[in-house]
Amino acid sequence: MPLDTISTYAQTLLRQDGRRWNELRRITASISTQPSSDGSSLLTMGNTMVLCTVTGPREGNRRGQRDNTNATVETEINVASFAQMDRRRRVRNDKRIQELQSTVSSAFQSHLFTHLYPRSTISISLHVLSLDGALLVACLNAASLALVDAGIPMPSILAAISSGSVTPTDDSSTRPEPILDLNNVEEQELPFLSIATVSGHPGSEDKVSVLTMESRCQIGGANSKLESMMATGVDGCKQVRRKMEDVIRKHGAKVLQGRK
Amino acid sequence: MGLAVLPPDFEEEVVHPVSRKYDDYQDDSDTSMDDANGRPSKRFRLSQPAASQIVLPGETITDDTQWMRGHGTYMTDSSTTIIATLAGILKTTNKLLSVAPLRARYTPEIGDLVVGRIVEVQKNRWKVDVAAPLLAQLPLSSINLPGGVLRRRTTADELQMRNYFQEGDLVVAEVQQVGSSDNTASLHTRSLKYGKLRNGTFLAVSGTGGGGGVVRSRRQVFTINSGAQSGGDVDVILGVNGYIWLSKHVQQADDQGRMSGGVSISNLDDVVSTAIYSSQNDDIGEGTRREIARISECIKILAEDGVRVDEDTVIKAYEAAVDAEMSVADQAGTGTRVSEEVRRRIVDAAIH
Repeated sequence: MPLDTISTYAQTLLRQDGRRWNELRRITASISTQPSSDGSSLLTMGNTMVLCTVTGPREGNRRGQRDNTNATVETEINVASFAQMDRRRRVRNDKRIQELQSTVSSAFQSHLFTHLYPRSTISISLHVLSLDGALLVACLNAASLALVDAGIPMPSILAAISSGSVTPTDDSSTRPEPILDLNNVEEQELPFLSIATVSGHPGSEDKVSVLTMESRCQIGGANSKLESMMATGVDGCKQVRRKMEDVIRKHGAKVLQGRK
Repeated sequence: MGLAVLPPDFEEEVVHPVSRKYDDYQDDSDTSMDDANGRPSKRFRLSQPAASQIVLPGETITDDTQWMRGHGTYMTDSSTTIIATLAGILKTTNKLLSVAPLRARYTPEIGDLVVGRIVEVQKNRWKVDVAAPLLAQLPLSSINLPGGVLRRRTTADELQMRNYFQEGDLVVAEVQQVGSSDNTASLHTRSLKYGKLRNGTFLAVSGTGGGGGVVRSRRQVFTINSGAQSGGDVDVILGVNGYIWLSKHVQQADDQGRMSGGVSISNLDDVVSTAIYSSQNDDIGEGTRREIARISECIKILAEDGVRVDEDTVIKAYEAAVDAEMSVADQAGTGTRVSEEVRRRIVDAAIH
């Protein structure tokens, strides 16, 4: 069993968990999991599991900060202390989590039709029950599904995925190869980015709505890693969106069946 | 409500989208407005969904210019393509396309009967939670003063507002106005049907807006006669917003109004006593309490199974529950929970 991707990827073209470069982990999801909230979803991507509940649009509790023309999107992310291999207590004002919260909020603030609900608040609450990489990606996908369940209008379904890049050897002449949907071990080893897209109008291409990269990588020159990573990511988002659409369709068929 | 962790389902049973054609629209729009008895319906009639098939956000509905876009759809400036923004059932009303969501919050409309909870007392109005995107307001000038006096509301009245409604009180009211800019509902309780609620229990299901739950119907307030179960009559108030109030049937207010041929300004002070703002509960017999609990459980079952909640379904469900208890009680002893068998019977009775 190899311990890292770089040393073996060139020979086998398989990653540590046996996937090829463009294979996603298993994505399962269900929506309307919690009847007491306006919208909810439970999403798993491999060993990452995120539970999302959406409340709202409802009257905001903070006065004076309300937007008179749009709804405000608030996000709260809670990573359970048992989510990873080692049990760790999360500090209250974790800067990393705060950044994720504002990323999710701003992604949906601009994506949803917030002008239909002026002066109200849409709260997204995300609970990470199990974490094996792709934290932001899983949060965005879970929130997207829960917002669909809550019946909040949006122009299209926002789907996210992470993509990374493997340079098989230290030899600078070999071309870096992109890989899709990294798990936790790969995230620690390789440069990766998280990308979310919304589907454009029929006939036009998808639009990138979230793009974050926290690792260093080469963006220019002959062996540019960034371009291939993004191209892979955009393609991966399409795959994820298809899976999410299947989940909603299946749920819808079930609901309609029960209604007759 | 506990967290339900569902096992991942591995069978690849994918529901494929069905391509729709709108070019061959045959229904003649002139005749579709007529009701069955020839009278044109006031509410627009929506055609039934063709199959158990939903549209998704971002899905193109049609690019034919003969259609108009309604709720749950959008169109960009540059193209004539109508795209869905909600996950739900596509409905067509003559040439208007709209998407009814599977589930959504209640959106207030004028004339809706709602049950709400007072959350805030302000200078000359109350703020009421009616499960809408924004809190509704109940102005001091839109309530009946005790004793039926009709006059301008003074600052003295403003100081006494908590004598009428306090934070946490439940009210039944009607939506008088909906704000044009932000859809805030403005309520009124200027009828003997409306006002403070007591002698009962509160229940919240999903309201009108999408999915199962309370629907707008002819009668939102009705009485269930449970005399056979040695309980008194139970008043049911189905708020269109999904908030429901079940209470002991109160005789006098109703009868007085009926005897004097309705309420008018001349006899208002006889009818509207100070008792209407009382928060003191009457004595409720054990039989009545049990029947209230039974009706409450029936409505919860209907809502959980996505059946619309209205007078007809509630009464049918209640009767089924009573029947089911009669037959099940002999075999299974006295269980406090509703068994699956009874549950199925209740839902079946309500649907058919």
